[in-house]
Amino acid sequence: MAEVQQNDGGKGKKGHQKKMQIRVDFTPMVDMNMLLITFFMLCTTMIKSQTLTIALPSNEKVNNEENMSQASADDAVTIIIDAKRKTGSFDVDTIDGKVQPVIYYYEGKPGGDAGMLGPGGAVLSENNNIKVSEFLANDEKTGQARGIREIIQQRNLDVLTEINKIKKQYADGGFGSLETKADREKAQAAYDEAASKIRKDENLKKPVIIIKSTPQASFGSLVSVLDEMQINNISKYQIDNMTKVDSLMVIDYQNSHHN
Amino acid sequence: MGRVKIARKSTFIDMTAMSDVTVLLLTFFMLTSTFLQKEPATVITPASVSTEKVQETNYVQVLLSPEGKVWLTMNNDTSSNWSNEKMKVALLEKASEIYNETHQKKINFTDEQKYAFSKLGSFGVPLNQMGEFLDLANQQEGQTKMDQWLAGEDENPNHITGIPIEWNSDESKPTEFQIWMKAMRQTENSNLADKIKDGTGIAIKADQNTSFDIVHMVMDNLQTIHMNKFTLLTALKGAEE
Repeated sequence: MAEVQQNDGGKGKKGHQKKMQIRVDFTPMVDMNMLLITFFMLCTTMIKSQTLTIALPSNEKVNNEENMSQASADDAVTIIIDAKRKTGSFDVDTIDGKVQPVIYYYEGKPGGDAGMLGPGGAVLSENNNIKVSEFLANDEKTGQARGIREIIQQRNLDVLTEINKIKKQYADGGFGSLETKADREKAQAAYDEAASKIRKDENLKKPVIIIKSTPQASFGSLVSVLDEMQINNISKYQIDNMTKVDSLMVIDYQNSHHN
Repeated sequence: MGRVKIARKSTFIDMTAMSDVTVLLLTFFMLTSTFLQKEPATVITPASVSTEKVQETNYVQVLLSPEGKVWLTMNNDTSSNWSNEKMKVALLEKASEIYNETHQKKINFTDEQKYAFSKLGSFGVPLNQMGEFLDLANQQEGQTKMDQWLAGEDENPNHITGIPIEWNSDESKPTEFQIWMKAMRQTENSNLADKIKDGTGIAIKADQNTSFDIVHMVMDNLQTIHMNKFTLLTALKGAEE
């Protein structure tokens, strides 16, 4: 291919000119191209980052009690993200430079109906309803949710049952055929709409999840908790600041479990 | 008896096809690639199941190092009237304007300094050192010095990297981080201002091990200046259902 045949057109010319064959060696060209490719491959990003959109409440103080949106104690689940501490101290313990998340949660009011604080601000340990959990993926064999996900799923059972119904419907072609790409997109859009309707349905019992975090918790675990909200179709959740009682509960739990 | 003649074949391998393929590959990489931005700190973003893609243009990236230092990177739509360069000049003017409103010691930038600023990738030094920082651009090996300053490896201990930020809920006395973010919204580039409003214009990039305290401080700063919606940059994790 890289040869050029040269026909000597002038037969009548003096002297018998030999047929010349010009051959271009492309090896250096390939070498150079390979180098350039290597350079571009190493210096570029192909993967685009994913994003997670969050909306926080306004920082302004709400003076009017009526304007505050109150979650009823039945629906409220508070998740407190913390980092694993070294035994007997409050220093963060890391494994291979990674902060290990610890998840605390309590349902309803802190300390239950009796409250966490006794007269004079004494901490009532026996009322402490905080529990500890962890991030776990679904069980590989049974597909059963574990850890904090199981707790969230149980609280959101009504919504998840409905979602699973339409998921099945989607798979069976209930939202339109799944044959071509255009059809699939249409069906997906219809499914998304139905799913969002279910998530917003006022008649279904839904939890309100309040996410709090100690200052030492890692950013990664915050994102993991926000992920769980998405996985479990939680429609109402918010990021809030730790209150004094929350801190007391966590410290109380740590004291009673690590001696 | 006839001897079997073995034809002598040339060992010359024709490289043309190979060359064709490599040129094609090269073209592909050149056209699809976006270059890695040089960033003052390396962070590993946490994994998430979210599949929303990051905006291509018109967003501000807030880079957060585990030590709590903050740098900003602008990504503007180069096809519009607001190129990166033009936007940065407008931003610097606006930021110094807001700064001068609340500080005794006024700052002003020469055209040369503004030009140097427009060429920056990530930026983040205290505003009162910004002039000195930008002057480096005209020096020999200025780029290296600027990179060192931003990475916190400067020999001069007075050279601070990172935009000053602290807990602040008083909107009338903004921190420098808040000054920059306010300036972003107030430039006449409505593309960016709209994106900031609907939440996709601000992307926070932090390491997965960064403590919540630091991330919270940045979020709180943004909340104070009424930027309640923003995005967190994450890496894709296999979807778990």
